[in-house]
Amino acid sequence: MYKGLFGSDKRGKILLYLFSHREAYPTEIATAFQWYLNTVQNQLLNLERDGIVYSRLRGKVRLFGLNPRNPFHKEIKALLGKMLDFVTEEEKEKLYRPRLRPRRSGKPL
Amino acid sequence: MPRSPRIKGLSLKDFAILISDYLRRNGIETLLSGGACVSIYTKNKYMSYDLDLVLTASDDYRDAKKAMEAIGFAQKKRYFVHNDSKFFIDFLSPPASIGEEPVKDVAQITKGKRTLRLLSVTDCVKDRLAAFYHWEDRQALEQAALVASDHPVDLEEVKRWSKAEGMIEKYGRFLGRLQHAKNSR
Repeated sequence: MYKGLFGSDKRGKILLYLFSHREAYPTEIATAFQWYLNTVQNQLLNLERDGIVYSRLRGKVRLFGLNPRNPFHKEIKALLGKMLDFVTEEEKEKLYRPRLRPRRSGKPL
Repeated sequence: MPRSPRIKGLSLKDFAILISDYLRRNGIETLLSGGACVSIYTKNKYMSYDLDLVLTASDDYRDAKKAMEAIGFAQKKRYFVHNDSKFFIDFLSPPASIGEEPVKDVAQITKGKRTLRLLSVTDCVKDRLAAFYHWEDRQALEQAALVASDHPVDLEEVKRWSKAEGMIEKYGRFLGRLQHAKNSR
């Protein structure tokens, strides 16, 4: 499904990750999916060149997110939202359900 | 290999005209967008060194890269730079858009036989406001006010578009800045 819609399975999953996490950095995505960092970076750079994602520096980390200035932003979000409905609960829990509340430093996971 | 045009010492406007015309002669049509339009419309009251050229077809990127390298530009990450110029070029993927809407009115600047296609004044204001609306970029708000205070802008159109973007409250802040810019002239 991802490949048909986004040209590659990885590209679709990265977009779904950004949709669910709002922003993410390449190492985080590579670790979550256990992919090579280069693979993730190349996909993100291509998506950025196409205007689908943006990037910004936060400290020394480059964060990526879905670009709200893309003319199809609403439609892309709607599509990703629908795709998330088809992801298994297990996969959602593992990859697409970010913890948003704070975690005190030093606290064991 | 084509003869390299002389780019040393060119103003941003002349540089944009030259590059745009050179690409057109190589079959690549572009539209100048972003901060460079602000520089042109404000006669460099705001100075940009970044030329955002929107391609009309995605497939043109490879040809554009080849054409730029043929006249001495080198790709540095996503930008194209030249030793004789402080300006750098970024090719953006089509379609040319302002927020959710396609660019419909394109302005042109002609110098001799060369022509530059760029955002109209009203679309330039909307483009800067998009940066303010979505990124909270206050510099972009100032730029929008600067352009709108120097040129007649279709404010009804800007208001309609702002409403469609769900940003009518921030449009009110733009009107405030515009009034301030006009008063301080």
